[in-house]
Amino acid sequence: MRRFLRDNGMSIAFLGLFLAAVIGQAIAGHADFNHTAQGHGDPTISLGRYVLSSDFGSAVMENWQSEYLQFTLFILLTVWLLQRGSPESKELDKVGLESDEQQKVGPHAQQNSPLWAKLSGIRRTLYENSLVLVMSTFWLGTWLAQSLTGVAEYNADQLDHQEDPLSWSQYITSAHFWENTLQNWQSEFLAVGSMAILAVYLRQRGSPESKPVGAPHGATGVEG
Amino acid sequence: MLAIAGCGTADREDDAAAVAQHFHSALEAGDGGAACADLSPETASKLEQQEKKPCEQAILTLELPKGGSVADSRVYVTSAFTTLAQGGSDFLDEGPSGWRVSAAGCEATAPSQPYDCELEN
Repeated sequence: MRRFLRDNGMSIAFLGLFLAAVIGQAIAGHADFNHTAQGHGDPTISLGRYVLSSDFGSAVMENWQSEYLQFTLFILLTVWLLQRGSPESKELDKVGLESDEQQKVGPHAQQNSPLWAKLSGIRRTLYENSLVLVMSTFWLGTWLAQSLTGVAEYNADQLDHQEDPLSWSQYITSAHFWENTLQNWQSEFLAVGSMAILAVYLRQRGSPESKPVGAPHGATGVEG
Repeated sequence: MLAIAGCGTADREDDAAAVAQHFHSALEAGDGGAACADLSPETASKLEQQEKKPCEQAILTLELPKGGSVADSRVYVTSAFTTLAQGGSDFLDEGPSGWRVSAAGCEATAPSQPYDCELEN
């Protein structure tokens, strides 16, 4: 048990933080929803009803989709884009998909390599791209969920003001949908860009996200 | 969450439509009390304040559609929008005691502008 916790501490800690934060978001969001409803003279709802509502759903999904987009782009673009001196970047002479020998696939796979890394054809191609495929699927799925919950939330507000509701196809071209989408995207892209450049000059001893404290600023793709 | 919401929406649309239908049927029958029972408390109270008479009397003096059938009903979170076959729309809110009419006898005005309602909160 102790070894399990030590070996999986990062996942367990972040899962715990996620659960605490999403529960806190539900509680705070429920209070805010009912405060607004009372101000409009509308009925309030229970916490259980709120977490099944489009208001809560769209608030969660708009954040999830931007996180998965961030990782999709970060994983994909770092194949070809470099940042001299950053631990987030590959070494400057390794731009691109690299050789089969460098990637340990096919005949260059090791005995303990994942099974599909040893194969050829479509299965190896799928496995070689499995991280981006899964991340982008999560991104598109949560973005779709954001649009479906968002249109319901938007239309509830429209009806509250005695205005016409929008169809889904009208909503995904609306300023409301794109403002909610882009407000999340800008923060994700800023975070990745900031991390890439700050880690060139700053250090955090012991973190794999940092270079070793004594590593020169120009050292690229080193961790420690 | 989406599946749960989707499964329940059709039933809630039917419930909202039933309340709107009952409201306009009560007006056709001249039953002001039954019609006022379908109103939200805020809307009934505002009507009484404006007309300076009990709701069941005031509501029968308004130019609201009488009878007819609900042709369309849409629900979003706790708000609903119903449209009568003969024209005219109502807005409803869902509370602890079910759907209640918050605005009735509504006609569209300009695009992206609020509806003009004969009765509202």
